Amino acid sequence: MHSLLDYLRLYFIIEAQYIKARMQYRADFIISSIGMFFSSLATLGVFWIIFDSIPDLAGWTFMQLVFIYGFYMIAISPMQILFDHIWQIRFHVQQGTFLKYYFRPLNMMFYYMSEMFDIKGLTQLAAGVVILIYASLQLGLEWTLARIALLLLTLFSASLVQISITVMAGCAAFWVLDAYPVLGLAWKLREFAPYPMNIFDGAFRFAFTYIIPLGFVAFYPSQLFLQPQDVSPLMYFSPLVGIGLFALTYWVWTLGVNSYTGTGS
Amino acid sequence: MKSYLAILRGSYMIGLVYRYGFLFNIAGNVLYMSVTYFLWRSIYQGRETLNGLTFDQTYIYVALGSAIFILLKTYVDWQLAFDIREGMIATYLIKPIDLQLYNLFNSFGYALMSLSAITVPTFLLLVFAFKIQIPLGIGLVLFPISLLLAYLLSFCFDYFVGLLCFYTESIWGLSITKDIIVTVLSGALIPLQFFPDAIQKVLMWLPFQAIYYTPLTMIAQPNLSWETFLSMLGVQLFWVVALFGLTRLFYDQAVKVLRISGG
Repeated sequence: MHSLLDYLRLYFIIEAQYIKARMQYRADFIISSIGMFFSSLATLGVFWIIFDSIPDLAGWTFMQLVFIYGFYMIAISPMQILFDHIWQIRFHVQQGTFLKYYFRPLNMMFYYMSEMFDIKGLTQLAAGVVILIYASLQLGLEWTLARIALLLLTLFSASLVQISITVMAGCAAFWVLDAYPVLGLAWKLREFAPYPMNIFDGAFRFAFTYIIPLGFVAFYPSQLFLQPQDVSPLMYFSPLVGIGLFALTYWVWTLGVNSYTGTGS
Repeated sequence: MKSYLAILRGSYMIGLVYRYGFLFNIAGNVLYMSVTYFLWRSIYQGRETLNGLTFDQTYIYVALGSAIFILLKTYVDWQLAFDIREGMIATYLIKPIDLQLYNLFNSFGYALMSLSAITVPTFLLLVFAFKIQIPLGIGLVLFPISLLLAYLLSFCFDYFVGLLCFYTESIWGLSITKDIIVTVLSGALIPLQFFPDAIQKVLMWLPFQAIYYTPLTMIAQPNLSWETFLSMLGVQLFWVVALFGLTRLFYDQAVKVLRISGG
């Protein structure tokens, strides 16, 4: 078996080659990065315009929402950068090219996802970091070493939540003919993650907390930093949500991989 | 004309194949309409009006906006990019058909399909499940015309971006940039009345508002005067003619740089 270190080394080798190949299309990379940048700021733009007419949204100030948004942008970046290949899974499954992933002595999820490294996602990540720092300066948040460690831990967990939701939707490809609508729906849901969850009523808040836990992508973990005095101590266990969910996703992926029978061509 | 109608019929039939995807689209719309309901409810927070719009008016505007969103996405940009990259474009160029009209009718077949399978069901859900009262007025009568013009405009933008692929040979970045410019500046996400005054004035002079703001206003505020509506339609028509002409001119330039490798 390979150790984690082997995998890391392997990943760098694969991505180095991938990036070299992609750099042939430099114009595409630049345009895509610009597009990525603006499209990831769209919801924030909507909030900005709305706050022209109102002082607060369900008790949240604009700057607090900016903080949540920065958190959100960082949290969705690992999905974009490292797991982007999930969008192609329906082609591979339909056309039988998925079979090749069975024939390497490597973890299949690792091998499959390593085939794509979305460089333009780095723009999103960078924008998210700038927004988060800007908002936390404006809000005058205090950062100790422990708080920074907590931030990194919650970001790690939040990004696992986002990865899990999307990858699980992509796994539908193993059982239905066209997983695109399922993935599209999961992608649309993602846009709601930076909304304050307290605007929702019972059933929706329940669903976004326990069923499709979008709230854990940005809103709940952000509260640990925006209102540390008010959050329930349970929230400090929220990092477990991401890890648990990813374990579940990995299990679903394994089920799918084991049930796939190829296309016979 | 007959051959273009055949193209339309063909793409309508292809659209039929992907029936089960419609369910997810409708589910997505319902979710989106619910979430925007909560969002706008907390924005209004019991206020009677904001920027001259009541909650009901704003909500109809935004919810219907999501219902026509899928309809107005023609995907012509993706289709053209695919044809250019794969060299398929050559087979269209040697046929006695006009590329612009071919793409228009091809995408219009899909649009009719998604109108019947996604937009109308969403609209019915809005009225019966969400219990939204659609106010009656002349705007309601003019809405279908306005929607058709909006479709033609949306097509022009998608076609233009598709033509850009003659130069870039890649589409993702261009298409996503176009999408975001159109959705934000057209008032697809928020009624234009909410924008700061100065920005609003500029936006009214741009073609984007004719895609979402015009048809949606006809539904949300159907009791504005005849003159207002007619001038809105006039502006739409102006942009349709202008952009159709401009994209045709641009095509003549763009097609010159086409290179096809292999066959």
